[in-house]
Amino acid sequence: MIINDKMKVRTVVGENIVMMQGEGHTDMTRVVALNTSAMELYNALLGKEFELADVVKILTDNYDVDEEVAKRDAEAWLADMKKNNLVL
Amino acid sequence: MAQATLSIGGHTVILSGGSSVDMAMSLPGMKVFECAEAEVSMQWHLDSVIAAMECRWIHEFDVSDGAVHCRFGVDAQGGYHYDFGSCGRLHYMEGDGVYISPMSNASVMRFALWTAFAMMGMAVGAVPVHSSVVVCEGKAVMCLGESGTGKSTHTRLWLENIDHTHLLNDDSPIIAIHGDKVRVYGSPWSGKTHCYRQESFPIAGLLRLEQRKENTIRRLRVLEAFAALQPSCPPSMAKDEHCLDLLVQFISNVIEHVPVYRMGCLPNAEAAQLSHETLMPWK
Repeated sequence: MIINDKMKVRTVVGENIVMMQGEGHTDMTRVVALNTSAMELYNALLGKEFELADVVKILTDNYDVDEEVAKRDAEAWLADMKKNNLVL
Repeated sequence: MAQATLSIGGHTVILSGGSSVDMAMSLPGMKVFECAEAEVSMQWHLDSVIAAMECRWIHEFDVSDGAVHCRFGVDAQGGYHYDFGSCGRLHYMEGDGVYISPMSNASVMRFALWTAFAMMGMAVGAVPVHSSVVVCEGKAVMCLGESGTGKSTHTRLWLENIDHTHLLNDDSPIIAIHGDKVRVYGSPWSGKTHCYRQESFPIAGLLRLEQRKENTIRRLRVLEAFAALQPSCPPSMAKDEHCLDLLVQFISNVIEHVPVYRMGCLPNAEAAQLSHETLMPWK
């Protein structure tokens, strides 16, 4: 897997956001926010080819979580990122 | 050579060129924005010779009720180009002025000048925002929304039902940031309503309107506010990475200082009273 570097992360009033490419004149722009830990994973993995195990390792290295919890969090993060086309 | 000096969005604009300068100044509302010479922040060179360039075209759209097909692109040097069908061209390179070819179609010229402001304004924190704006007791309320959602209707309801109220602009006022001050300025672009005012005001709030069967209003959180304002900013800007960086920074600065609301509304007096009470609770 890789981070989709075509989707740029920008800062709005201190929040990290990614704008989704909407079509035509929609009433509201669709925006996805990345919280602090999601952003840490994003930055750590940007430009690299990675697997689920790499995400788990970043979490267990940086947070006081056991492997099982980290794996669950990593899967949830990946599912979210894939759904929004941020991980390919 | 002809020349005119304008003050738009708190920035001094010099228009220079040949007969197009007279044509530009005879467009509705332009003369209202004439001013004395001051420190110049934008140069618009009319009647310029602009060669057709090899571009990466990133946005196509129609103006003049579909009569003129336009496209926006970027050349290999990072210069921006607009093709206004057979009616002319515009070129802009950041750090330089805007160049516009000779034009004979007044409505396209009007759009080209708006485009010139939008392109140069983004670098200095001044952006035209598609909205209808009403002023009450020295503070502005900006109504945003897609065409047909009732922006003009809602500002008209303020004019009819709220005392000490006047219209500032009915289509494309300019939000400009000067230091830590965010203000909305009248502009020479006001759609079909000829409302041209050389005035600016602090902003009480932005209202993103939608038609509903009851009147509701809710203040938006940061990301919702961003999503509500962005579609009302010049569409071409969102198509280019660098322009979008500047636009996102601009919107971030605006919503940090100005509250944004989502309002469901009926076309009645109660709608105006609800937004008035919410945005100006001290009244």
